[in-house]
Amino acid sequence: MPIAGDLLRVMDLSKRYGQFWALQGATFTVRAGEILGLIGPNGSGKTTLFRCVAGVTPATSGSVVAGGDIDTIDGSRRKHRLYFVPEGVQPWPRQCVGWVLRFVAGLHGASSQRRDDVAASLALEPLFGARLGELSKGEHRRVMLAVGLLTPQPLLMLDEPFDGLDLRQTRDAMRVLRDHATDGRTLFLSIHQLTDAARICDRLVLLSGGRIAGEGTLEELRAKANLAQGGVEEVFLALT
Amino acid sequence: MPSPEPVGRVRAEASPAGARSPFQWLLAKEVRELIASKSYWLLLLVIGALVGHAFITSVNLYAEASGIGGGPSALSQGLSPLEGIVVPTLGAYDLAATLLFPFVVIRLFAIEKQTGELALTLQAPARFSTSVMAKTVALSAAWLVAGIAGVAALALWRGMGGHLDAGEVATVAIGHLLRGLLTIGIGAAAGALAASAASAAIIALTITLGTWALDYVAAARGGAIASVAEYTPSAALRVFEHGEVRIATVLILGILGVVGLAVAAEWLQEGRPPRRRVGGAIGAVVIGAVCCVAAGQLRATWDASEDRRNSFLVADEAALRQIRQPLHVTVYLAAEDPRLADLERGVLAKLERTMPEVEVTYGATSRSGLFERANDHYGEVWYELGGKREMSRSTTEPIVLETIYGLAGLQPPTPVAVQPYPGYPLAKRSAAAPWFFFLAWPLAVAAAWWWGNARPSRAPR
Repeated sequence: MPIAGDLLRVMDLSKRYGQFWALQGATFTVRAGEILGLIGPNGSGKTTLFRCVAGVTPATSGSVVAGGDIDTIDGSRRKHRLYFVPEGVQPWPRQCVGWVLRFVAGLHGASSQRRDDVAASLALEPLFGARLGELSKGEHRRVMLAVGLLTPQPLLMLDEPFDGLDLRQTRDAMRVLRDHATDGRTLFLSIHQLTDAARICDRLVLLSGGRIAGEGTLEELRAKANLAQGGVEEVFLALT
Repeated sequence: MPSPEPVGRVRAEASPAGARSPFQWLLAKEVRELIASKSYWLLLLVIGALVGHAFITSVNLYAEASGIGGGPSALSQGLSPLEGIVVPTLGAYDLAATLLFPFVVIRLFAIEKQTGELALTLQAPARFSTSVMAKTVALSAAWLVAGIAGVAALALWRGMGGHLDAGEVATVAIGHLLRGLLTIGIGAAAGALAASAASAAIIALTITLGTWALDYVAAARGGAIASVAEYTPSAALRVFEHGEVRIATVLILGILGVVGLAVAAEWLQEGRPPRRRVGGAIGAVVIGAVCCVAAGQLRATWDASEDRRNSFLVADEAALRQIRQPLHVTVYLAAEDPRLADLERGVLAKLERTMPEVEVTYGATSRSGLFERANDHYGEVWYELGGKREMSRSTTEPIVLETIYGLAGLQPPTPVAVQPYPGYPLAKRSAAAPWFFFLAWPLAVAAAWWWGNARPSRAPR
């Protein structure tokens, strides 16, 4: 993968809820144009890390460096650099899919052509008349993917983008995301299915117990784990 | 750190000419959310019935007072459409603003937190206050749409041949608009602070009950509490319902509404550290309180009533304005004594509107005045002007004015013949009102709901 430079650097990011540290000293880099995967078991702090990086939850300490500026810890300016689609959100349940896509595209300055392309790539046209609150989990996930793809920020963060998708839909969604990255956008995906992560991500950040256990390509991580061979599962188990 | 490619909206596409701004998109979204909200449609349904019932009842009473049954009619001068028709009909909106509209407001603010939409709104390409502003504009428009029932009632009244004074109607309407803005502020703050819509509803109702308690306590005690209670929603609305526009009341209601919105805007920015959110919310309240205190000092008022019920005669006003010295009034009447209410509304309020400086002190210590001792001066009202004092037990306007003229060394002005308020009797019942409010209005609301919530038949363009 061509490395054009660091798009965003997360430095020593920590988040504490009461006495519990959900995230401790997370440091890693997001490179421009790559698909970076954040992998870790349930409860490892993936969502917390995403929310803190996106600036929708305040971090306890640490900083996010982007575009040469040290961003404020509250992250109010980060929305100019990245867009985060959380997992499990159910926005606009009474609105129809077609209008939601029109609203998101209009709000973020995407053209109607782009909106139609995104809708077509995720096979959303048949759902235009359906309300979001009536969609299946997989359909809803595809709509939320489209929401993310219609935004203009150079970095798109998707929390569990394949959750709720069946095998075929997952494969199609991966293709759409890969095409999107090829167009120049950087993707940062939180994925708990290690096999999915291995299939789409250029590099991986391993998170375990709120700490970063490793960062790099599969080969780099394999070397760090002193494994001559093995997949992402073996590497993850060796490093955590 | 290596400098990356310029970041920003590298993929943002050029907006076509005439494209909507983020505010317009957010406003469109909020309007659609309102149209999809069952609570708003319920409000529209109920407001029609409330306004209709109030209108029909008040028209019937007005007709009876005008002699429709063949019995004796009231003096025509006493038949004012302001208090006979306009105030009771539009009074339905006070009930709606208290018990229905807060839930519409709360839904719009709380639903973002409940569904997780807030995380997306926080990332919208506009300041978060733009989103709050879009909600406020949408809710204000919703309140205005609900006002169509009131407008229809007054149109029916005019159609029957009834009289309406534009100034009076506009004054009462301003009161209800400000009441709506206050409700939006309270609902927004409650929706933002509470974890769920149900908790927010409890907060909003607690605030309402608190203002009622304040009204009750103020009525019984007077003093500083009464000064604060002048600005509870019910008390503030009464000012407008008497055909008076007080700049202090207008500003304070507006400020309180804006403070509620500011608290919501600060608190909902969940990406900020809690300390900053708390500080921002407290700061908004403190600034609002300071502004309210400052606004409370403003004395400007306008008497918009056609019968000038809030004013002295023009000649008396001219004479009183010549008095430059401060007038100090000490009232020995308890808060629950009806004479005090007569004195305050019939004389003191008018004096405060007319004279440059009037200071009123309340000397009674009991609530009812029933057990005051004679040496406590109970029942006396002392007027002090330019070092001279005089006592009067009267609460009627001519006697009090005579006392003040005497203290000021002025001759009472020569009475000028003025056209008395004619009154507007109308001995008619409205045959169309029941059909309109209990049949046409619900049908129109149902049709609008169906049209507004119909699914699109094809992809949007």
